[in-house]
Amino acid sequence: MNHLPLRSLTGIANVRRPTQRALAKQRTREKILASAKSLFTEKGYEGATIRDIASAAGMSTGAVFASFTDKSDLFNEIIGADRESLFEVMRAEAVGANAEEALKAMFDAGYRFTLADLPLLQATMSVSWSPDLGAQVRGRLNRRPITELIAEVLTSSIERGELSRNTDVTLISQMLWDCYLANFRHAAFEGWGLSELRAQLGKQIQVILAGARAG
Amino acid sequence: MGVREAQKLATRRRVLDAASDLFNEIGFEDATVRAIANRAGVSVGSVFTTFTSKADILNQVMQDRLEALYEEAGRFIPLMRGSTADRCRSLFAVLYAFETRRVKLFLAHIAVAYRWDMEPTARPFGANQVFRDLMAQWLKEGVERGDLRADIDIPAVVDLLLGLYAWNYRLAPSENADAERLTQVMDQQIGMVFEGLRPQG
Repeated sequence: MNHLPLRSLTGIANVRRPTQRALAKQRTREKILASAKSLFTEKGYEGATIRDIASAAGMSTGAVFASFTDKSDLFNEIIGADRESLFEVMRAEAVGANAEEALKAMFDAGYRFTLADLPLLQATMSVSWSPDLGAQVRGRLNRRPITELIAEVLTSSIERGELSRNTDVTLISQMLWDCYLANFRHAAFEGWGLSELRAQLGKQIQVILAGARAG
Repeated sequence: MGVREAQKLATRRRVLDAASDLFNEIGFEDATVRAIANRAGVSVGSVFTTFTSKADILNQVMQDRLEALYEEAGRFIPLMRGSTADRCRSLFAVLYAFETRRVKLFLAHIAVAYRWDMEPTARPFGANQVFRDLMAQWLKEGVERGDLRADIDIPAVVDLLLGLYAWNYRLAPSENADAERLTQVMDQQIGMVFEGLRPQG
């Protein structure tokens, strides 16, 4: 890693190698984020303190505050990163013979990804519904709108003639996304698992798309 | 009723009213039991003879509201007429009108309910079962009348409508949506859903 032959650096002549200091700062940041994620998962947003997070990362609270403004800043970073990963996972899976299949595959991947850390989802839900705390989290969550992925699937379907040209793509994308999210209340309050969520959403997708079919 | 019991009931009422106001004003986290006790004009000690925790207070506030909601909705439901879609629109309009009167309280309740790190609270949208059965009944009648397709999965449709209803509340904090706006969004969504439920051919 430290002894790259000169030859391999040609063509990337203007790369600025990060300084040791920047690398160390990055590592510290990642360590704090990992510790924070684990604590939010364990104790929820309100339950986790900066002191706990610092301690779990093996640092002082001062070190945490050097990289992050406050607890909400930390939480927003984690949620933002999580949303990016979710977007990539769903994008990769949004494939199918038709809109219904592609959407089912995409949302299934989403449910699998999110259910892997249900406490984190609940913490996210709890914070995002909070009238005061919620605004920033909601902002972060909307940065990579998954409704765009849904709209792409619908648009392709319209082009293939499966859905009517008059389909209100924006409205339907939003409804499908809301429907997907709303089902998480069953996971949180009734202990629904992946198969139940999948079955429920499958039926709901059929109902929503039925109105948009061609002919 | 003994004097002691009467006093306890009076305290309970005052605490619930004060808590309902405070939660609605400043949210669940910031409203302390001490502040609630002050507002209610009772001691913190007496609060804890009737309630086990702040979450318990919120629980009972919402339980009270649910009873009030049933009463209000109950007055309007027999008057709801027209197509199945329109009846659903009316029902959700009543629900939105009711809850948005204390929207911050309602949102706080949802936020708290998702917190697994606290004792379990009353489930938000706890009114679901009654309205769920009502809508299922309406859909069944719609199928019988031939207004709706015969092959509808009624429970799935009902859950879809309730899910959309629930999720529309996110517009309250993010866009300052009022009852009118929420109802407008719901009306549109209902239209889209029922478009797909029309009989074929």
